[in-house]
Amino acid sequence: MTQLLLFNVFNGLIIGAFYALMALGLSLILNLSGVINFAHGGFLAIGGYLAYTLVPYLGFWGALVVAPVLTAFIGILVERVLIRRLYGRDPLYGLLLTFGLAFMIEDGTRLIWGAQSLPFSIPDWLSSPLSNEYFFLTGYRVFMVLLVTLAVAALFVILNYTRLGIRIRAGTLDLETVSVLGVNVRVLRNLNFGLGIYLAGLAGVLAAGMLGLQPTVGDNLIMPSFIAIIVGGLGSLPGTLVGGLLIGVASGVTSVFFPSASEAVIYVMMAAVLIVRPRGLFGEEGRF
Amino acid sequence: MPKLDKRTADALVWALLLTAPFWLTHVGGYVELGSRVLIYALAAMALNFLLGFTGVLSFGHAAYFGLGAYGTALTIKYLCPSTPVGMLVGILTGTFAAALIGPMIVRLRGVYFAMCTIAFGQVFYFIAFRWSSVTGGDDGVSAWHRMPLDLGFTSIDLLGNNKAFYYFALAVFAVCAAAMAFLLGSPFGRTLLAIRENERRARFLGIPVDRHIWASWVISCLFVSVAGALYALLNDFVDPRAMRWDQSGNFVIMAVLGGMRSFWGPLIGAAIFIVLQDYVSSETQNWMSFIGLFFVLVVLFFPRGVLGIIQRKAKP
Amino acid sequence: MSLLRVDSISKNFGSLIAVNNVSMTVEPGELRAIIGPNGAGKTTFFNLISGFLRPTSGHITFDGADITDLLPARRVWRGIARTFQVTEVFPELSVHENLRIPVEVASGFRLRPWLSRVAAEAVGARVSELLDMGGLASKADRLVGELAHGDQRATEIIMALALKPQLLLLDEPTAGMGDQETYEITRLIRRLHQGSKLTIVLIEHDMRVVFHLADRIMVLDQGNFLAEGTPKEIAANKAVQSAYLGQAA
Repeated sequence: MTQLLLFNVFNGLIIGAFYALMALGLSLILNLSGVINFAHGGFLAIGGYLAYTLVPYLGFWGALVVAPVLTAFIGILVERVLIRRLYGRDPLYGLLLTFGLAFMIEDGTRLIWGAQSLPFSIPDWLSSPLSNEYFFLTGYRVFMVLLVTLAVAALFVILNYTRLGIRIRAGTLDLETVSVLGVNVRVLRNLNFGLGIYLAGLAGVLAAGMLGLQPTVGDNLIMPSFIAIIVGGLGSLPGTLVGGLLIGVASGVTSVFFPSASEAVIYVMMAAVLIVRPRGLFGEEGRF
Repeated sequence: MPKLDKRTADALVWALLLTAPFWLTHVGGYVELGSRVLIYALAAMALNFLLGFTGVLSFGHAAYFGLGAYGTALTIKYLCPSTPVGMLVGILTGTFAAALIGPMIVRLRGVYFAMCTIAFGQVFYFIAFRWSSVTGGDDGVSAWHRMPLDLGFTSIDLLGNNKAFYYFALAVFAVCAAAMAFLLGSPFGRTLLAIRENERRARFLGIPVDRHIWASWVISCLFVSVAGALYALLNDFVDPRAMRWDQSGNFVIMAVLGGMRSFWGPLIGAAIFIVLQDYVSSETQNWMSFIGLFFVLVVLFFPRGVLGIIQRKAKP
Repeated sequence: MSLLRVDSISKNFGSLIAVNNVSMTVEPGELRAIIGPNGAGKTTFFNLISGFLRPTSGHITFDGADITDLLPARRVWRGIARTFQVTEVFPELSVHENLRIPVEVASGFRLRPWLSRVAAEAVGARVSELLDMGGLASKADRLVGELAHGDQRATEIIMALALKPQLLLLDEPTAGMGDQETYEITRLIRRLHQGSKLTIVLIEHDMRVVFHLADRIMVLDQGNFLAEGTPKEIAANKAVQSAYLGQAA
């Protein structure tokens, strides 16, 4: 029983780490620019597919490094050309635009790479279990958790110790003051968007290794990201991180006792948070 | 272009709708397409009650549309083979769900509210998908069909006769549209406009904003579930796709495309969208990209919608 | 019995003390002005009275009842109406529609799906009356968002009046106006005060307006109560003078 519980908790942590990675990118963009990036799942898919294409040339590790960066570039381009025009307008338009983008990206990946599932190969030594007793502890899963931890730590460092990061944080609190202080707000938003998309792309590469690749791979991950943000609290990045992990683990634990309810539990958590503490666990008052 | 006064515009719309089965075929359409436009127009107008007239962005209306559809289908299939009863159950289901969820989200605003409506929408999609013993899961609810309308003195065959179904749908549409117009022109409707225009001012005029938003939400979901009930009847079939997030987006884009600030805007938006979707999906496999592109273009170039452009040109 | 009594009210935003233990008593029918240098906490004070903000400490009593914890909409029902520093109206609706809404709300119709002919006529009559009071009859069908600043402000004031309040709070009614518009608004306020025995509290920077209209004046400085008295007393008050001059120095 403990073995089963441990297995599911660990699984839950991995899923939670994914949700958190996605949700962090989404949250970054939402906090600074006020745009709900519905196409986030699409960028995740792009990250995975680009990695798939690059593996024959750069190997797994090369693809892991390059694909998210390329995805981020695409994101920066999209922001520059399309999303930038919507700032200051009703949030309705941002949502509709990213909605349309999500459609286009999904169909686009289907066009370029085909509709069938593609296998994504990871280095052999990663996929073997690390111990016989804890068979579920494959190298890849541990690797994923480590990588997500690394990414989150790097994000923390960027946001707290680099000029870009500090400006992003300041901008989230008071964009007008930041612009008056001479910061180029357009560039800031652009780079922030790129950063968020980088995280999506990275999640995409990792997901490819675990789930394989289809055009709809982003669909399943975007809703939990939303819920991670709602549970963790709008406007709070630590909240988003905690939210993602929390719903992942809750989902994992529930699957031990009520397997069919494991997906539903994250919605129940969302409802509970909305009733008891609408601003989320770490949310700031008045943000909505 | 001279601005049509309201009465003339209304008369024109009804004239076109009443005679549609006769001129549709001459322009390359078919009666069922007309029925479909009516249904989506009703859904978009219902959404617009909340979006365009109260100023609240809901992106999860497909859930209540779907509940209306499933309620109708399941009732006719398993409980009572009667069209009106099926519809009633569908409408009650959708409305009841909305009334329950409303209080949870009515204090939220802007993007946060939108996110939560999307998430709740997903809950119902997920239930429809998973509870396959009842809903048939991905296969949907099939092997049933719309029942003839038994009016006592006569029975109208809705199934075999496309025209009859069109007029039935039109009758339902008319009742709903009239009800919505009536509400919007009432003191209550004006408080909704106030909330849209300036929520703070509305609050400081003594309007209990959250309560009124909840009322608008429930009314909006009620009419969208009526549309859902008709949708089930039109297709003699329902599956989870009726409730998916992309369906919600479709309703919004129809309202925006036609013009959010006008009563008939969503009807025009629905007409354009459905016709376009019909055409594109018959021409190419990649209709999804086109629809997506369509969304992007509307947002960038037609944010005020077709009627918005006409109104602006008509202003002195 | 005084209409409004504010007892030692304070508002802190973290470590920033915006309003510090300020008390005020307003008698029915009075026109009270609140003045003070920039940053004195005047608007915050208003926000506390109207329910926009919750006080950190202190009480507010209106017409004998404690309203400290009441939500804004409820205070409106009790008889407190306000205008804002930045005019808050319904920009894409006409003046007529802007006024009709508060009239309907004040008549208890806000949830009505339908009005009888009699009721509708009563509403129409009241709106006409208000339009005349504000000098807006000729602009009734124009969209408020398109009106001149002075007319927008007049609309806002008349909207507040439509609620039949006992207490009217006006936040810098002549802000951003030129001489002519300031004159018109001042005349409007005077007309309202004298015509309907309304109790008015207003925040103002323009001293001409203050001394022309006010029965009593209260002075705030950096969130603290500084002085209160008749216009004459305040004009002669040394502390008030130094507060203003000190700012300019």
